Amino acid sequence: MLAFELFMQGLVQGSIYALIAVGLTLVYGLLRILHVAHAGLFTLGGYIGVLVTNATGSLALALLTAMIAVGFVGMALYRFCYQPILDRPPYVALIASIGLFIAMEEIFRIIFGPYGLSYTAPPLQAPIILLGMNLKAAEILTMVGALILIGGLGVLAGRTRTGIAWRATVKDPQMAESFGIDIVKVRYLNFFIGSALAAAAGVMVALLNNLVEPTMGSVPSYKALAIIVLGGLGNVRGTLIASLALGVIESFGTIYLGFLLDRDAIAFAFLILVLMIRPQGLVGRSNG
Amino acid sequence: MLRLEAMSCGYGPFSAVAELTLQVAEGSVFALIGANGAGKSSTIMAIAGHVDLHGGSITFDGRNLSGVPARQRVRAGMGLVPEGRRLFSDLTVDENLTIGGYCRAAERTPENRARVLDLFPRLKERLDQAAGSLSGGEQQMLAMGRALMTEPRLLMIDEVSLGLMPKMVDVCYDVIRRLKDRGITILVVEQNTSRALEVADHVCVLESGRQVWQGTAAEARADSGLVEAYLGLAEAQ
Ligand SMILES: Nc1ncnc2c1ncn2[C@@H]1O[C@H](COP(=O)(O)OP(=O)(O)OP(=O)(O)O)[C@@H](O)[C@H]1O
Ligand SMILES: [Mg+2]
Repeated sequence: MLAFELFMQGLVQGSIYALIAVGLTLVYGLLRILHVAHAGLFTLGGYIGVLVTNATGSLALALLTAMIAVGFVGMALYRFCYQPILDRPPYVALIASIGLFIAMEEIFRIIFGPYGLSYTAPPLQAPIILLGMNLKAAEILTMVGALILIGGLGVLAGRTRTGIAWRATVKDPQMAESFGIDIVKVRYLNFFIGSALAAAAGVMVALLNNLVEPTMGSVPSYKALAIIVLGGLGNVRGTLIASLALGVIESFGTIYLGFLLDRDAIAFAFLILVLMIRPQGLVGRSNG
Repeated sequence: MLRLEAMSCGYGPFSAVAELTLQVAEGSVFALIGANGAGKSSTIMAIAGHVDLHGGSITFDGRNLSGVPARQRVRAGMGLVPEGRRLFSDLTVDENLTIGGYCRAAERTPENRARVLDLFPRLKERLDQAAGSLSGGEQQMLAMGRALMTEPRLLMIDEVSLGLMPKMVDVCYDVIRRLKDRGITILVVEQNTSRALEVADHVCVLESGRQVWQGTAAEARADSGLVEAYLGLAEAQ
């Protein structure tokens, strides 16, 4: 029973990693940029979630507001930070992105204070007995929410004309354009969706920890980078698998190796191990 | 319908084609031939809007295309089968056709797809297969089908026969003839000169980015010196 419970906890954490890492891998697939500042959008989502919930009492409204607002902020980041340097070598964008991430953390500190914010009346804390296990409602929401959001993304990408155009653009932007696709619009869509998913993750983490703080994006930022490498850069399916795998490994690791290593150390030991055995990532192909 | 006036194009400072003048008449087949590196693909990509003009002009239906982005050129009626085909390899055959029809209203896709599958029945059984898993011949069919989904009035095909077995080449040329009968204007780049001369009305020979000969296909066939000097050379590649 303990194993099953650990597994479920791992899936909850993995769902959060997935929501963050998918946006990162989407940006990488389209623009070959390592979008470190993505984790700043995750934090921003958390702040908006707490503030709107505290102001209105509605978590649903908070989630929606966070996703839409952060989606637009993501588009603005593309427009004002990345688009002007797209034809420079990739490290230029990487450095810009790291700088942007640090700046965002400082802005959060200045605006919201260094100690973080909490829900005045934390929603969804009631325990729910599911399959004989004690889970918080917030944890179930995290898993179900991630499933719905990522499932929705799958439907968009696989079944709609826009989604097909999106994948075609990732594969060969010049050809996509020569078939009438507006690749700049595709980039905006890409940033909107990726950022909105990160914001959703931020709201959920805020809910699980009942805390948002300026630096809450730091650990996820480098973990998500490691995850997308593990998933095969740009590969959405691989990224999802890597996220869930990492969540579960961490969950078991903290129990069985916790005396030796802390949670993050276990995660990175796992990443290093996998990359030593399979440098091409868990799923293998570099694109997909 | 298509007119190049002293068109020069290239990559950054590098010039690939210099002062090329040619005119493709509505409903005709125009063949662009020459050895490797002569500038054939650059010419086609300049017409499609992917290579920068260094001088001269390109007009399509009397409209000067300078400054018109590639995605508007396809809407204006230019279909492209690029060098190397460049299919969206991890998308399915059906999805590749959908992208082909992207520049037209979604409601037109089923009708256009039916027309393409009629032309290339082999693709019908492979609709859900990834484009990258098709054979070379099937990939060429899909590349042509994808271009036809754009409802082109001018179809540009870079390398019709390259890497295909003779039977496949026959299929492709057969389709080109049928498209011509439907009134589609066609610009082909071809290494296999004799095949090109069979269907072409007009021929232009490029060498090192310059035009060295231009005339009707009948003249080209009659001019044995020309065939030896340029075409034979291209054939030997
Ligand atoms: N992307 C590019 N960047 C720089 N130079 C290029 C590029 N593509 C082609 N060139 C150069 O432009 C010239 C013309 O090339 P192009 O591909 O148009 O020739 P081609 O006639 O199509 O040859 P082939 O028969 O080999 O396909 C060549 O010298 C080539 O090296
Ligand atoms: Mg070529």
